[in-house]
Amino acid sequence: MNKFIRNSFIFILIIIFIIAFSSSYSSLSLDNLAYVLAIGIDSADNNALEVSFQFSTPISPESGASEKPTPIINTVTASSLSTAINLVNSYLGKQINMSHCKIIIFSEELAEQGISDQIYTLINDTQVRPSANIVVSKCDAKYYLEQTKPELENLISKYYETFTNSSRYTGYIPDATIGKFFNSLICTTCEPCAILGGMNETSSNNTEQVDSQKDYTITANNSPIRGENGAENIGIAVFKGDKIVGELNALETISFLNIKNDLDRFLISIPNPESTNNYLDIYLTPAHTTDVKVDTSNQTPYVKVKCEFVGRIYSMSKDSKYLSPEVLDSISNSCNSYLESVFSDYLYKTSKEFNSDINNIGKHVLKNFFTTKQYEDYDWSENYKNAFFDVEVNTSIKSGMLLTET
Amino acid sequence: MSKSKIGTVEAIMLFLTIIVVHTILSLPKNILTSMKSASLLNLIYVSIIAIIIAYIIFRLFKKFPGLDIIDISEILGGKIFKNIVGIIFITYFLLTSSLLLRNFSESIKIVYYPMTNIIFILAFFVIAVCMANRLDFSATLKSNLIIVPIVLVSIVFLFFANAKQFTPERMFPILGEGVFNTFVIGLSNIASFAGIAFLYFLPPLLKEPEKLKKITLISVGITALYLILSVSTLLFMFSFFITTNEISPLYNAARYIEFGTFFQRLESVFLLIWMLAFACYLSIVSKFSMNIFKKLTNLETNTPLIDIFGLLIIGLSLFPKDYAVSQTFETKIYPSLVIGIVFIFGIGILILANLRKRKELKHE
Repeated sequence: MNKFIRNSFIFILIIIFIIAFSSSYSSLSLDNLAYVLAIGIDSADNNALEVSFQFSTPISPESGASEKPTPIINTVTASSLSTAINLVNSYLGKQINMSHCKIIIFSEELAEQGISDQIYTLINDTQVRPSANIVVSKCDAKYYLEQTKPELENLISKYYETFTNSSRYTGYIPDATIGKFFNSLICTTCEPCAILGGMNETSSNNTEQVDSQKDYTITANNSPIRGENGAENIGIAVFKGDKIVGELNALETISFLNIKNDLDRFLISIPNPESTNNYLDIYLTPAHTTDVKVDTSNQTPYVKVKCEFVGRIYSMSKDSKYLSPEVLDSISNSCNSYLESVFSDYLYKTSKEFNSDINNIGKHVLKNFFTTKQYEDYDWSENYKNAFFDVEVNTSIKSGMLLTET
Repeated sequence: MSKSKIGTVEAIMLFLTIIVVHTILSLPKNILTSMKSASLLNLIYVSIIAIIIAYIIFRLFKKFPGLDIIDISEILGGKIFKNIVGIIFITYFLLTSSLLLRNFSESIKIVYYPMTNIIFILAFFVIAVCMANRLDFSATLKSNLIIVPIVLVSIVFLFFANAKQFTPERMFPILGEGVFNTFVIGLSNIASFAGIAFLYFLPPLLKEPEKLKKITLISVGITALYLILSVSTLLFMFSFFITTNEISPLYNAARYIEFGTFFQRLESVFLLIWMLAFACYLSIVSKFSMNIFKKLTNLETNTPLIDIFGLLIIGLSLFPKDYAVSQTFETKIYPSLVIGIVFIFGIGILILANLRKRKELKHE
């Protein structure tokens, strides 16, 4: 009898637990969820938001593997992000799930007004991954989503997941995720930044302006790229607090990533010391981590940046002599002075023009103080605009690649 | 419980159980909020003090071989005092474990079971604990012996897997809010070593009581290292834990672990390990509470108490109206309870008992 009562009790308990936990299970069931791949947030009238959700379309077995599924975009205008999500839930008849959302796009217009409310709301959501990329689009976020048509990927989700990978070897876009953005938003030593996005259609008549140096001064919305994929990402959107204060081009993004030690290698055009008005393309690899020292003994911070690179000459022409130590030294010197000027210009731009320490140079300031109060009194965030920069670059050009002399 | 003796390694793991569960919740964040960049310096300072206190406790126990704090309080103040001490420790164990369980369950509810009533999540743990407590204590100890090292390894993994995102400069300014805050107000972080409470009840349960010193020092040492590792992970990774409150900060750190596009979302594995650790902790705490109760009431067996203590844990954990109340308990009241009961009350009893013993010896 005792055994019967015990078994019955266990059975009833199991039933109760199944019922209790099934509601959570059902709410997270695949049948009830709509997986968002990307969110685009634009500003609308009366302080409202126009939020676009991009969903993937399930591939039907009849369509074949080669056919690209067309993503679905639903747009809603609402007073807040959470209300927008709720409205789309109602419209779709399914619950939006953002655990696979890979990219969050803000329009430049909204970023100028400030995006902290949206960032806090998204971070508060358990589904949003800290690794979701943040893009500030020069065009409408909705239009950016519509024009994103990856050519080499069948799945748009795969494209969103991997499009930042090229920054490790081009240095044209930063690795800007919502986790890092939120961290920088609250941080007292740095400021947030995002990937700069835009359309490549507006620059269709710019080809006559292209030269070796201008290749590096491009930004999204202003590049000479043509292709089926209308959206492009080049450069950095610089923030001060939660508001965008400016943008950086490809060359400045390379500088940003180098000082941040976030770049494996990069290609750069330097003035050819052997031939005036000509440029040499050099593949540079950081030899050491960038050394940053900040002297805060005066109210005007003095920042010393030291970078070391090892390089190989990439561009080759007839009569190139890259086996001579004198020639290699001369190229190294040219590279040093060019990069010193580029890095210095970049740092002064972030300091004087933007007053935004996106490189987190402020972290090197912390050890100069004993207490938080002393650091707060120094007010690094506001004092950054008074900083002086001294950049030292040491490059060692080794040779050409497969060809050393022609 | 008294039948099964505790081995040296089992005792160390038992000690670590408390720190493990508390670290999963908001302990590292509380340290960061109060100490800011001086958190690591404060932890090193507090760890040294904790080692000294643990050694003092060991020395104070030396004159009472094979006795726990309940037996010693009987020697000191008779049966009434013994009952008072026993009830205080039972209340401390049940209250703290219940409210920590509530906080942990709230985190699980937010992340995985948004539609499930909190009572079922609490009951899930308590039923598991009641079933485990029906078995011999050695079953819980052996489970703990497996789970706690896994948790320790998971924290080491968490540290190294996130190392790429670290900003070690965040440990500066080295004195944080100043010398007074770091070394005087920061002394309250000694509450992180709440595991010392188990030391009061260990001597009669040890297989090798002569190894109490070794157990004490190793346990406190590992606790210190574990805590430093957990706090370092959060301090170096995030700037926002100093100003922003988040549920389960280490869970948040686990969300950042990614190895390429293949190994992602490892936080689920962490949460599973932490759930097991929490069940072990509850089982141990309720076993100790029942053992004290058995001692006070001269019961022969724990069995009739298992379900009652289980229901008590559920009842107490449902007591806070919302998460804010249980969080306030964890951040504000719990440290005071640990300092008051474990460090002042417990050591006070031992010192007074030692003085009395010395007086008696002098008279003889």
